[in-house]
Amino acid sequence: MESSEDDGGEPLSRLAEWRDVTPLPQDDGPNPVAPIAYKEEFRETMDYFRAIYKADERSPRALRLTRRAIHLNPGNYTVWHFRRLVLEPLNSDLDEELDFIQRIANSNSKNYQLWHHRRWVVERLGTNVRAKELHLIKSILSLDAKNYHAWSHRQWVLQALGGWEDELDYCQQLLEEDIFNNSAWNQRYFVVTRSPFLGGLTAMRASEVRYTVEAILANPNNECPWRYLRGLYKDDIESLVNNHEISSVCLKPCQEFRDAVVALWTSDSLPLDPDLATAICGILEHVDSMRASYWIWRKNKLPVAA
Amino acid sequence: MATRDPLDFDIGVEDDEDRTPSPSSISPPSSPPSYFDRDRHVAFFEMLYNLMPYHYQSQEINRLTLAFFTISGLHLLKALDRVDKDRVVSWVLSFQAHPRSRAESKNGQFYGFHGSRTSQFPPDENGVSVHNAGHLASTYCALAILKTVGFNMLTIDKESILISMRNLQQPDGSFMPVHVGAETDLRFVYCAAAICFMLEDWSGMDREKAKDYILNCQSYDGGFGLMPGLESHGGGTYCAVASLRLMGYIEDNLLSKNATSSIINVSLLLDWCMQRQAIDGGFQGRANKSSDTCYAFWVGAVLRILGGYKFIDKIALRQFLLTCQSEYGGFSKYPRELPDLYHSYYGYTAFSLLEEPGLNPLCAELGMTDLAALDRSIVLHHCIYTCNLCFVQVSYHTVKENSTRLLCGEKSLSPQQKPWCGEKTILTTQSRQNRFDSPR
Repeated sequence: MESSEDDGGEPLSRLAEWRDVTPLPQDDGPNPVAPIAYKEEFRETMDYFRAIYKADERSPRALRLTRRAIHLNPGNYTVWHFRRLVLEPLNSDLDEELDFIQRIANSNSKNYQLWHHRRWVVERLGTNVRAKELHLIKSILSLDAKNYHAWSHRQWVLQALGGWEDELDYCQQLLEEDIFNNSAWNQRYFVVTRSPFLGGLTAMRASEVRYTVEAILANPNNECPWRYLRGLYKDDIESLVNNHEISSVCLKPCQEFRDAVVALWTSDSLPLDPDLATAICGILEHVDSMRASYWIWRKNKLPVAA
Repeated sequence: MATRDPLDFDIGVEDDEDRTPSPSSISPPSSPPSYFDRDRHVAFFEMLYNLMPYHYQSQEINRLTLAFFTISGLHLLKALDRVDKDRVVSWVLSFQAHPRSRAESKNGQFYGFHGSRTSQFPPDENGVSVHNAGHLASTYCALAILKTVGFNMLTIDKESILISMRNLQQPDGSFMPVHVGAETDLRFVYCAAAICFMLEDWSGMDREKAKDYILNCQSYDGGFGLMPGLESHGGGTYCAVASLRLMGYIEDNLLSKNATSSIINVSLLLDWCMQRQAIDGGFQGRANKSSDTCYAFWVGAVLRILGGYKFIDKIALRQFLLTCQSEYGGFSKYPRELPDLYHSYYGYTAFSLLEEPGLNPLCAELGMTDLAALDRSIVLHHCIYTCNLCFVQVSYHTVKENSTRLLCGEKSLSPQQKPWCGEKTILTTQSRQNRFDSPR
């Protein structure tokens, strides 16, 4: 079983435990490009790792060595891979492994290898750890509500292990904390379209439109709900255009017309009142001057009035 | 400290990441310049090419990527003379994993390039590469470096790379970067497409399946997430669009073609991209996030590929990028911070997109210098050209020159077999150049 204590950073060459191992230095060749000025601790740890890896030694001390190497270099997928190879024959406690990953994640929450490793462990533990995982991800998101890795892991857990019941409420909560959080809007869409408990997009549309329109009225300069609204009508643009509630929101006089066009803007093949659309493009050229060339181009692409 | 693939974007960056310290040989000016300080950037990258400070040791596993940034960066800055090309070629080739036989390249391992010596051991007494850990991103970087220094790509053992690369493709069309298991997402679909494109051979992947995976990644708002269901993201969008372009599923300059049908929702994508330019002039990777230097490339390149780069506010972007330019050379992620290799490289690519004088033109789909555009002298006589998009060989009789690009007027096979049959496509002579020209 792996000790919870680190080696304390002692040079490996000074530890009795490693006396029988000859470290394997890296052979960079005679003319390496972009060589790195490794610190001594790093170089030594990796030299010992290479030796153990080459010998394919799957022992408790190998496990401890991978921990040390991971602390120094959490992005090294070879070390993580070897750790997985070692964990299995040692019959290690995978719950403890989750704790280990969590400790590394405290300073490396945006590291692909760590999250992949976590997934590997969770796959082996199964639905028993579902609640724990969802809870852990929540705590990471409470520190950074837009952590892409955390969201990716969360979507994987939901799809692989379930736990959808409270997810819409969770999105609601995050949006109450920050209505500008695009990750939360995206997760909302994910839940609404995929949750086995909610009946799918068409069934949810009416209530979601109400929710979204409220969000728009509260902050019309927030891009997220506008795009979300458009997304609710993904394959059914006609309904979007014919929805009076939405039209009135879009045409409501407000400072930022820019985002109004996003919702109104349907594919160019549908008949739009060309005068209105032209007028809006004209306004946007001025109020959204950063994108003036774009709005001019859009205006020129509008179908000509019959 | 986070791993730095070229495609790690910003979801791999910690806020307290160590930055490259200032080189003692370069003394900062009293106030930062309001122009692209090419000389300082060259000195900065030349320093890194020769030696990386210890701060980069945690990116050790991606040595080839670090080397790619320095070499390709110097090339963009028109300073490739700082690079010893022969030394680079032999060093890069030493990372290639070789199977003992053709049969072995189907054994499930990936015979691409290792990213570093961490996992590469000298072959054992039977000549076997033990613990082969070829990686898709390293392979992309290796090939990109070799192309940059003018190496004759025809001499590479591409068969092993391509045959074994198929092992990495998943049933849903995505790619795993290493055969021992890792995350699968759009980044590695892109690497695979770029590898096939650079080797001019698509036998390494099932393009249809890859295309399907990409389309599943398009979000409700028009951008692309890194995996289906994930939030649309500048880096994911780049990987999606560049891959589709490389594979031939979308044509160049789509917006000017008045294409009524495309496999992706182009107008929504375009609108999403346009909104990524924030009030400070920089580009953000996701809605309501801070502007960051590298998205001037990731999103800017998408716009370039679509033919919409002309719509952005270039003055505002330039102003933002200059606030991220370091007085020590290089670029930082956010204004007035210390520079790092990754953001510096993408700062240079962003300035190339802005057509900054003194920089080489950019190939948006590959994220490096547009080598074909550099080539002003094209040998037309007695050559057979291969169309990179419809793969039909055309003799020079049917080719007409249009500055540095040649247009293929050849009609070819059925739409089921090739994405752009029957249409005017652009072909490059790069494939033939290497056979007949001496290396640059």
